[in-house]
Amino acid sequence: MKENNIKIVKIILWIVLVAVAVIQLFPLIWLVDFSLGSSNEMFTNGLLIIPEKIRWDNYVKAFVDGNFLHYLKNSVLINTTAVVLVVIISIMAAFACQRMKWKLSGFVSTLLVMGMMIPIHATLLPNYKIYSGLHLTDTVWALLIPYVAFSLPQGMFLMTGFIQSLPKELEEAAVMDGCGIYRIVFQIVTPLLKPSIATVAIMTFLNNWNEFMMASTYLSTPTWKTLPFSVLEFTGEYSSNYAVQFAVMALTAAPAVIVYVILNKHITKGVAMGAVKG
Amino acid sequence: MKKLYSNKPVIFSLVLPGILVFLFAVLAPICLSVYYGFTDYTGMGEAHLVGFENYANLVHDSAFGRSLRNSLLLAVGFICIQHPLAILVAAVLDKLQGKAEGVFRCIYFIPNVISVAVIAYLWKFIYNPDFGLLNNIAKAFGHPGKINWLSQQNAIWSVLIVLIWHGFGWGMLIYYTGIKNIDPVLYEAASIDGADWWTTFFRITLPLMKPVIQINVTMAVISALKQMETVYLLTNGGPNNSTQFAANYLYQQAFKAFKYGYGNAIGVVFIIICVLATVALNHIFRDKQEQREK
Amino acid sequence: MKKKMLATLLTAAMTASVLTGCGGSAQESASNAANDEAPAKTQTADAEENETPAESADEAVTLKLFSNLPDRKNGQGLVEQMIIDEYMAANPNVSIEVEALDEEAYKTKFKAYAMDGMPDLVSIWGQPSFLDEVLDAGVLAELNEDDYAEYGFIPGSLDGFKKDEKLYGLPRNTDIMLFYYNQKMFDDNGWKVPATTDELLSLCGDIQAAGITPVAMDGGDGWPMACFLTDIMVKVAGIEYADIVSNAVATGDFTAPEIKQATQILVNFADAGMFQVGYDSQDYGTTMNLFTNGQAAMYCMGSWDASMALNEDIAPEIRDNIRAFTMPVVDGGKGGANDIAAWNGGGYAVSANSAVKDEAIKFLNYMYQPDKLSKYGWENGVGMSAQDQTAYLTGNETELQKQIMEILKNATSVSGTPINDCGPSAFKTAIESEIQGVSNGSTPVEDFLAAIGAACK
Repeated sequence: MKENNIKIVKIILWIVLVAVAVIQLFPLIWLVDFSLGSSNEMFTNGLLIIPEKIRWDNYVKAFVDGNFLHYLKNSVLINTTAVVLVVIISIMAAFACQRMKWKLSGFVSTLLVMGMMIPIHATLLPNYKIYSGLHLTDTVWALLIPYVAFSLPQGMFLMTGFIQSLPKELEEAAVMDGCGIYRIVFQIVTPLLKPSIATVAIMTFLNNWNEFMMASTYLSTPTWKTLPFSVLEFTGEYSSNYAVQFAVMALTAAPAVIVYVILNKHITKGVAMGAVKG
Repeated sequence: MKKLYSNKPVIFSLVLPGILVFLFAVLAPICLSVYYGFTDYTGMGEAHLVGFENYANLVHDSAFGRSLRNSLLLAVGFICIQHPLAILVAAVLDKLQGKAEGVFRCIYFIPNVISVAVIAYLWKFIYNPDFGLLNNIAKAFGHPGKINWLSQQNAIWSVLIVLIWHGFGWGMLIYYTGIKNIDPVLYEAASIDGADWWTTFFRITLPLMKPVIQINVTMAVISALKQMETVYLLTNGGPNNSTQFAANYLYQQAFKAFKYGYGNAIGVVFIIICVLATVALNHIFRDKQEQREK
Repeated sequence: MKKKMLATLLTAAMTASVLTGCGGSAQESASNAANDEAPAKTQTADAEENETPAESADEAVTLKLFSNLPDRKNGQGLVEQMIIDEYMAANPNVSIEVEALDEEAYKTKFKAYAMDGMPDLVSIWGQPSFLDEVLDAGVLAELNEDDYAEYGFIPGSLDGFKKDEKLYGLPRNTDIMLFYYNQKMFDDNGWKVPATTDELLSLCGDIQAAGITPVAMDGGDGWPMACFLTDIMVKVAGIEYADIVSNAVATGDFTAPEIKQATQILVNFADAGMFQVGYDSQDYGTTMNLFTNGQAAMYCMGSWDASMALNEDIAPEIRDNIRAFTMPVVDGGKGGANDIAAWNGGGYAVSANSAVKDEAIKFLNYMYQPDKLSKYGWENGVGMSAQDQTAYLTGNETELQKQIMEILKNATSVSGTPINDCGPSAFKTAIESEIQGVSNGSTPVEDFLAAIGAACK
């Protein structure tokens, strides 16, 4: 009797889990499915279609006309730079505020973390004015500066916590050996922070990878445009061809999904670590 | 050591980049916003100081009121729908051992790594009354007509569904980690006492998860306030401002209606609301924690 | 035959000239005094630059063109791109970079650009809602009207692009509001082109009964519906349309019976299920696709979409059968069948602060050579240009083009600027949002009129 009950519970659990999985994944399957057909096949009553002919050329169009490689390169470049900057700046500042002795350490630390409360979109208008005044619009800086600025508070917050939990003995030994502060920060402390750096890097990456509001406001030429623009520009260009639009959406989503599936364990760990603390 | 650790120029050099970024990218725009919020600047030509006129107009602006109400609705939706679901699924997932656990966790998180641009356009198609996925599902269940998911009455709920769907994996993962951090000894004790799954869930899992839930609730409220991208691409606030949100509205006012000054005034109020909400939530939760500790 | 057509075209256009710019009287008052200075400055700058002409003949020049035509493979976007490619081939030192966005996104970004530094060439609209504030700020370069004497612009078509007798832009099209319909679908079902709005309503009932969407309407964007309202109002108020609207914008009082009646008709249409389900949240592309995929019997849009008839992405059995008619007459209305909603809206201008202004103007003039925009546009099935196209009639026009030509030829009056573009941009933003609420039944007509009136003050 009890055995049976456990079995039934198990089955119910599985049904719930599979149902949620289907809800989370089905729209994406639908997307890929229709991206392989022709536009006319969209107007069907079925949930999925079996395309009359699989049209890989939809993807060729999406790849070439969507400027895919160029935008992907920009996205990777800008996001990586932002991540590196956020990590370095936050380690330096967190170390100074957490470990070193000065009057304003608490104040500066709070100040830098406070940025978390500021809604990023409220700065769209004034920042546009500032960047255009300094001729920074349509340059890579127009993206890098806000990306770094709005990931820094979180990075700072996490790093402060991590540095706090490091034992002081290592640093003391280093001081005995005659190390300067910079060497302590970059050669002693930084290597110890590896898992935390991964967390900050992943959070920063996830925050900025999908951002397009600032990109679409501050950029005009394709020089620095990022991956979301493949989709944004494409829907206008191919407004009468749904299948190709679907292809470009699937293509744009692909890099992040593939990387995520491959690194899934590390990313999950990083996010979990960051989110529970932050 | 002490001397080395209180070397002013060194400290200064370490915090300088962070402070510069803060001053230039956070403080300066806010100051500029405050200034323009007091002007009638259209975006071109000259700005004239008009005092509190923009703020006075804002009080009577029904679209702005609508956007705050929508944020509230969204926050309630997150807290009442997304989070209970996420906690439950996380608790269930925790019971599952072996490979399947990792696979499900991976699947649930996938929508999260997909760009908002893709998500918003994808859901535009899903909601389409003529060929969208949802209507075809409704049809499969025997509903005859075309359902207008994005009508003035339904749109805000449809937006809510997209956001819940998109953010589900994130919430789930955090609760999941929280549950994993609970000492297994407690569960063993419970099972020795003969407690069933539900009792364990309500008596052990939930209470111990309180700090995590509090963090998540704070995040939910804040992200509901800050909502812009999905709405901008999915409905752009329409029909007739029914899905308007503060960030989207200030953007529209400044760059569409040529009311840059007014847009900045909205921005200032928006910032104040976000800061107040964060502070208030932290305060409430901290008070509770302290009470418990006593 | 051709000559007669030219003559009638001209008469039609003359009538247009009287009416473009919303009656003109209303918006002159406030803004003019302040900007006498700005254009004067640009003028002197012009003069200085003109002293050293063609100096940079072989230097590499990059022109940035900001365009509202993101589809570069069909219709107007294709035409624009063809001319750009031709120009770059003829002038190897010039490279032209295009940034193209959808109309709504375009207008938003344009305003952001207007704040500080615009691309060299831009798409503009010769309408108060768009141009008044832009010209006040002096961000567009003045053009020399005499340069265009030989370009064959239809008389009056330049008026919307002028301020204080100075010219700041050139019009691209003559736009007419149309119902496109699928003739084969009509014939197969025995449906007839309606002559009155009552007939239109009963026709829509028949179409619905056949399980087809009667009219595809881009209600998500707001402006097409405002143009549609303009179209109804022209049938209600006839040639008084422009005066009534400019008066309403000036006073902020939109309770004129004509406006009320026209709005009520729009509401009745929507109530009767004339538009597709979810029209008030669907965008341009989705709406058009509904029609071009045979899901809707009619499609309400401007004459620029006549290029559908040549779009390879549309199945031949549909694109070959696209025809058009104008808004049927309203029972008791003052507008006749040939009083149409039409205007010279979109066009191009050059940025006043462009570092390569001379090159930009050179390219602008190149585009408007009668055998470029006008001719290519005609050959690619884009509606009517704002220039005399009679020289380019080939006899191979699509049926749709011939129909549109006929409509314009027979026009007894044209409306001029559509209602949403007759006021300041705050008014435009308000009406384009509020019209969604009134048509879907969540705002009463009176509240709608009050709300758009409030936005004028």
